[in-house]
Amino acid sequence: MKRVIQACALLCAIVLASIPGRAVAQPGGGGPITITIAGPGSQLSTIAVSGLKDLGGDDDHRVGSTFVGTLRRDLELSGYFRIIDPHAYIEDPQASGFELGQFNFADWRSINADFVVKGSVSAGAAGVKLTAFLYDVAQQRRMMGKNYNGDAGDVPRMARRFADAILEAATGQRGPFDSRLALVSTRGGRFKEIYTQSIDGQDLFKLTGNPTINLFPSFDRSANHLLYLSYKSMAPALYLVDLKAQSEVKITSPRGRVIGGTISPDGERIVAAIEREGATNLYLITREGGEIRPLTDTNGINVSPAISLDGATLAFTSDRSGTPQIYVMSLAGGAPKRLTYSGDYNTTPVFSPKGDTLAYQSRSNGRFDIWTIPAGGGEPVQVTDGNGSNEYPSWSPDGRYLAFSSTRGYNSRIYIMMVGNRKIISALTEGNGNDSCPAWSGWLGE
Amino acid sequence: MIPVQHGRGGWVSSRSTLARAMAIVGVGLMLAMAGCSSKKPAPMNGENNPNGSQIGENGVGKGGGNSLEDWKNGKFGAQGPLSDIHFAYNEYTIQEQDGSVLKSDASWLQAHPQTRVQVEGHCDERGSEEYNIALGAKRAQAAKDYLVTLGISGSRISTISYGKELPLCTEHDESCWSQNRRDHFAVSE
Repeated sequence: MKRVIQACALLCAIVLASIPGRAVAQPGGGGPITITIAGPGSQLSTIAVSGLKDLGGDDDHRVGSTFVGTLRRDLELSGYFRIIDPHAYIEDPQASGFELGQFNFADWRSINADFVVKGSVSAGAAGVKLTAFLYDVAQQRRMMGKNYNGDAGDVPRMARRFADAILEAATGQRGPFDSRLALVSTRGGRFKEIYTQSIDGQDLFKLTGNPTINLFPSFDRSANHLLYLSYKSMAPALYLVDLKAQSEVKITSPRGRVIGGTISPDGERIVAAIEREGATNLYLITREGGEIRPLTDTNGINVSPAISLDGATLAFTSDRSGTPQIYVMSLAGGAPKRLTYSGDYNTTPVFSPKGDTLAYQSRSNGRFDIWTIPAGGGEPVQVTDGNGSNEYPSWSPDGRYLAFSSTRGYNSRIYIMMVGNRKIISALTEGNGNDSCPAWSGWLGE
Repeated sequence: MIPVQHGRGGWVSSRSTLARAMAIVGVGLMLAMAGCSSKKPAPMNGENNPNGSQIGENGVGKGGGNSLEDWKNGKFGAQGPLSDIHFAYNEYTIQEQDGSVLKSDASWLQAHPQTRVQVEGHCDERGSEEYNIALGAKRAQAAKDYLVTLGISGSRISTISYGKELPLCTEHDESCWSQNRRDHFAVSE
């Protein structure tokens, strides 16, 4: 890949098109084939991700390697697959074809691959053209295929979208990797700054550079806006960043001092935690900072607001019972309903994308674990394992995973876990500082 | 350069925008942030300033200065003319033994009527970041209320919470946590 033309911004450069089924006899007249794999507790499926065949312009395999490397990492992070070591692959991708009938399934069956990904790439002045297929080795059939066009810089994102499509083909539910993670980190110094990165750890971007305290990043659903709290003016205030326009608005309040908040999934409203004379209450405000209505009114502490994806319901933490507990209420107003009764310190609630479940952190033995509870009330379920302190859960856009911070290692890191089988899959961050306050965006561009 | 907008309902916003010329999002956004970050601290005030603390832009910080300012400057943890008070875990009630500390602090403030004090609420590392900021605000308000009861004008006293963000001590045990659950008093002219 020698040169690409910056023809279009990232979001519009990727043209995504499903390749219609061809040469594949599908039951039911060509409808999508879905097989359920690797449910909770079952063995991982094996997948081989072959190198891409260079159809011109990628003779150093730079583009192909970027795609394949990103895809392997995302599939690993999904918790559904074991990636077969590329050294075991028999077939030379350059010497064989990538379409059904152009390669030998025996080459993949003999290394015990349940699935194989094959494809091609061409790169030139007009950009990158990339084609990828997912094959079921045992059935010798094509399950799914995609074409992508874009710049060389878009290739990791093509891989994330293909990983999401593989999960959809293999599990019936789209994967969560075409999204962003925001976090707080002390890497590179003593100060807590806001960063964003892809889920697979690429494209680390330092959003703040003020040597004070920055906390609580939250995205709107499509990751167009990011809200955070900063002490950069030497007193806490919320800042709403327009990530596209590259600008930000400072939000303060005549009600008192803003000490926290979250942006609604549609990006239009904010619930702010505002302190006055020691009491902290929640207020619904516009993106510009205009007050819509007070939501709580106690002389104590009401913090950690979270808004459901449909924008209708608020979850928050209140000490009105004497200890921090989780409550839910309508954002239209009304009486809060207490959800948590076990434990004397429950906080940091977040709604699952469907809105039917909350994840939160609950303290026992001086440390926190992540728990879930039905949003309508019910029995709480512990989902982390008591290893270190596990805090600040954030749901993936598909609702299968949680990102959270944990002190299980030497430093505090962000980890990804599968909620269904409580399996902690991997750390999502690395570096020499402590990472906290993860926020997982929705799918990009939606 | 940074126009102040008055939003609906009297909310105040200030907006910073980035030069179009900055094509790279990363660099551009960082510069935009830097452009609206805090000002440089005012020059040092040598008098009654044994710790080398500086006067912050809010006018706080002399002797046992503003903790965030001191922390930024690597001069953290200095005590000033007013002594810290401490709290029980997850509590914001003034403890009996700190009543005498606050009475002595009030006497000093009465003897120095030209000074102002910012009460900083701090917490130990246990608990969520946001809850701790709210808890620290309660602790700061508790000391302010106490000083007002002792006859200090409320107009001389401001409050701020740093939650668990500025610990004096970083070991993960009670000996450390008990030092971190504190109100610190930053005094200024």
